[in-house]
Amino acid sequence: MLKTKKGKQKLSRRKFLKTAGMAGGAVAVGMLVKPARRAQASTTQRPPLGPGDVEVRLNVNGKDHVLKLEPRVTLVEALRERLNLTGTKRTCDHGECGACTVLMDGRAVCSCMTLAVNAQGKKIITIEGLAQGKLLGRLQKAFVEHDALQCGFCTPGMIMSLKALLDQHPRATSAQIRAAIAGNYCRCGALPNILKAANAVARA
Amino acid sequence: MYPIGRGGRAARTPEEKQAKKKKLKAKVGLAQHPQVVEIEVPENELPVWDLDAKLKIVGKGVPRIEGPEKVTGQAKYTLDYTPADLPGLLYARTLRSPFAHARVERIDASRAAALPGVKAVVLIAKGSGFDASSALLDVVADGPVLEPQDREVIAEGEEVAVVAAESDAIAEDALELIEVKYQRLPHVVDYEEARKPDAPRVHKEASSNVVPGDPQKTGDIEKGFQQADVIIERTLRVPVLLHNSAEPHAAVAQWEGKKLTVWASTQGVNGFRDDLVKTFKLDKADVRVITQHMGGGFGSKFGMQNYGALAALMAQRAGAPVKLAYDRHEENQAAGNRPNATMWIKLGAKQDGTLTALHCKAYGTAGVGRDASVTGMMATVYKCPNLRLEDSDVYTNAGAAQPMRAPGYPQGSFAIESAMDELALELKMDPLELRRKNFVDLPLLALEEMYQVGAEKIGWSRRPGLGPKTDSPIKRGIGMGTAVWGNGAGPPASSRVTIAPDGSVESAMAVQDLGVGTRTIVAMVTAEELGVPLEAVKVNIGDTSLELIGPDSGGSVTALSIAPAIRLAAANARQLLFQKLAPALGAKPEDLVCDDGRISVRGRPGQALTWKEATAKLGAPISGRGERLPNVAPYGDLPLWGAQFAEVEVDTETGLVRVIKVVAVHEAGRVINRTTFESQVNGGVMMGLGYALLERRTMDKSEGRVINPNLEDYKMLGPDELPEIETVIVEPITPMDNVGGKGIGEPCTVPTAAAVANAVAHALGIRVYELPLTPDRILDALAAKKA
Repeated sequence: MLKTKKGKQKLSRRKFLKTAGMAGGAVAVGMLVKPARRAQASTTQRPPLGPGDVEVRLNVNGKDHVLKLEPRVTLVEALRERLNLTGTKRTCDHGECGACTVLMDGRAVCSCMTLAVNAQGKKIITIEGLAQGKLLGRLQKAFVEHDALQCGFCTPGMIMSLKALLDQHPRATSAQIRAAIAGNYCRCGALPNILKAANAVARA
Repeated sequence: MYPIGRGGRAARTPEEKQAKKKKLKAKVGLAQHPQVVEIEVPENELPVWDLDAKLKIVGKGVPRIEGPEKVTGQAKYTLDYTPADLPGLLYARTLRSPFAHARVERIDASRAAALPGVKAVVLIAKGSGFDASSALLDVVADGPVLEPQDREVIAEGEEVAVVAAESDAIAEDALELIEVKYQRLPHVVDYEEARKPDAPRVHKEASSNVVPGDPQKTGDIEKGFQQADVIIERTLRVPVLLHNSAEPHAAVAQWEGKKLTVWASTQGVNGFRDDLVKTFKLDKADVRVITQHMGGGFGSKFGMQNYGALAALMAQRAGAPVKLAYDRHEENQAAGNRPNATMWIKLGAKQDGTLTALHCKAYGTAGVGRDASVTGMMATVYKCPNLRLEDSDVYTNAGAAQPMRAPGYPQGSFAIESAMDELALELKMDPLELRRKNFVDLPLLALEEMYQVGAEKIGWSRRPGLGPKTDSPIKRGIGMGTAVWGNGAGPPASSRVTIAPDGSVESAMAVQDLGVGTRTIVAMVTAEELGVPLEAVKVNIGDTSLELIGPDSGGSVTALSIAPAIRLAAANARQLLFQKLAPALGAKPEDLVCDDGRISVRGRPGQALTWKEATAKLGAPISGRGERLPNVAPYGDLPLWGAQFAEVEVDTETGLVRVIKVVAVHEAGRVINRTTFESQVNGGVMMGLGYALLERRTMDKSEGRVINPNLEDYKMLGPDELPEIETVIVEPITPMDNVGGKGIGEPCTVPTAAAVANAVAHALGIRVYELPLTPDRILDALAAKKA
């Protein structure tokens, strides 16, 4: 049985393929998919949150925000639609592409795979938190100079993944750099220049 | 709608034909073999930036000017419009058919409509298939309960209903509350099955699932094969590919009375706007489409399509702005794909390598849509006097194809380049030598130079020492393929350059930047022609309300459609400025020059006005307009050429292919921005490598569903598969227009998979005739060779 990030119980894959559509919709084979309004059991013994909005406190780029949202809202949704920090992108919603990468207590995480309620008490840094006014960070400068971007949609996620690495390993090797962005997909073909930019920062 | 084959436009309209002409000389071709040609151009055309042009900015490598916006997350894409930008913004989600073919008997959206936060529900009530660009308003209904009399879904992912709600989550919840009664019908998603006469019919109105195209014939194919000393016959296959742009299809629509604004992730703001006008029966002046930044399209985002129509429709029904964006699954079920192909090819040649006959029969599926043709490029890439090229479309119950980076060409290239290498083996000729024997006869052809530099950089001379006979289980090989693409750049393109009294310069056009560097090209060409530093120019693009028409970005036409227009606009603006300044400098306007922002009288550089001083003399802003002039025949019809060379390593124990290096040699006449040119080539090569090794849309035949509509199971090239890519630019300047350049977006992805396949065949001594070259196929081929 699969549990989605929203805490719903999903059907097994075989049943799923035979009946309901990807985005829901009940069919006359007799299966009506009812969203189970139960939060998934947590490992700590806290009472379940919801249903309905709950208060969520997020520390983003050094500022505290208090939001009211449902427990099922992911961090990427909260950042983009509620805090208007749209630099972090939402492209696959499955943790497959890395475009939603943010730093949480220094670690690169997919914000689409993180519930906003679980991001409380953590230091969250998004792409908007890197530049100081008009002054670009080192990675950002290197990306511009080496043309490490084309459409730019994967770019914030790439930079955040690399920032997480270079903060821990300022002299990261070429192999470490490749591993750090292996989970960030880029369709335009900026990858060769992304590696150039990251290696330039690591060797500087 | 798709701009491929705009035909490299020469003068066509009566105005263009009758315009007063003048003769110009231009020094063109390669620097090492310059040719002076005389061309006839309209009177107001500028001299070509030919081999003698002294350019300061154009031709250099310039980082893209919107780079800082993109690396800080400030660049706003369509998906990024939130309620903070558009108060009351609603989110639309689409209910899609899980079945490949079914009758829709009942839709009950009453519980969805009643869900708190849901503001509008629309049902697709009529028709077989759903194409919003034809009669949208006739096929939708409000419901919320409907028993359609004539509604069939014909592919998984087809739209059934749409909801708009206060949040994405509520919209998703609403979708789950919609009950749909489907009656499943027989489907067919395998194109080989669909060709059979007893296969389920995909389109009721069509008499067959197979739609043959008109064959392309040259010479006498029978005679041609009779003249051949050697004939080879092969069948090759390629799979369906998915665009998987980083930003999905998305549109944000807002009505104000009868005025409609749509922020769209689109490759063509003008085409999108025109479709909205037609579908919603609006006045052109009342519709505005805006694209400041977009996250890739690769051909999948031309025109309003269903997403644009439904966003506008839901905004109309809900009385509020609506954002409609596909999720990744929808993107990969319903937003387009590159057709597959089975290609039978028969190639004949004389003993000396001269081709005498080429016959190719190909078929593939574009799903429920049209145009799976692949043989067209075989008429252009090599010289062959006797040709017969036949394409057929095969309908299947799957998402309709959309053009994908060089439609048809990478497929065809795989077939013909593989065939050429097999022919070379039979003739005991070097594969490069065989191709040289069959160069087309066209002006300004620089293929020989491209072959030479590519061969040198890959180390082609090492080839005899590589291959299957080496000791190690890891075999190495080198292969190549020729890149070709038709030129489609030309009018219309309108530019306006404005100089203000405060010294600011604005260059404006309703053209979009897909992420290819268009903005930067606009700035560079403006600055070069005006004679000011690059930083002085502000670029204003991506908005149809500018009314300065630019091309939709497809067919590799954008840069060279717009650059000549921008030169004319900048030149006109400069002329107006000089007219204002001439009296103050005691000279005639034609005696003034502007260099690096300083204006002086020719020959008297000491008495210069700075840009600020000069523009301060303008009482008000001045604007110069420029209209792209027709291409100069015959140069406008010449193709874009290239050659790609690949070195690979194949592990014969695991079947894994590793690409070590790709040398991509491309021409683009006058390259405007070296940096973004190379980035385009990187992107094209990477897509071609994905084609060769990894990418493949897979369908479950019995359920008629896409099995890998996501980013984990649809494999694309990542850091571990990335080889060294070396781009070499060869610049035969063309006098086609006043800039002397050509496009690059698509030629750079045409021959890559073919080059890799040829390298693998060289390494192993046997050939795999199907892409992707996955380990199982390599191992099967090796086992068959042993047996």
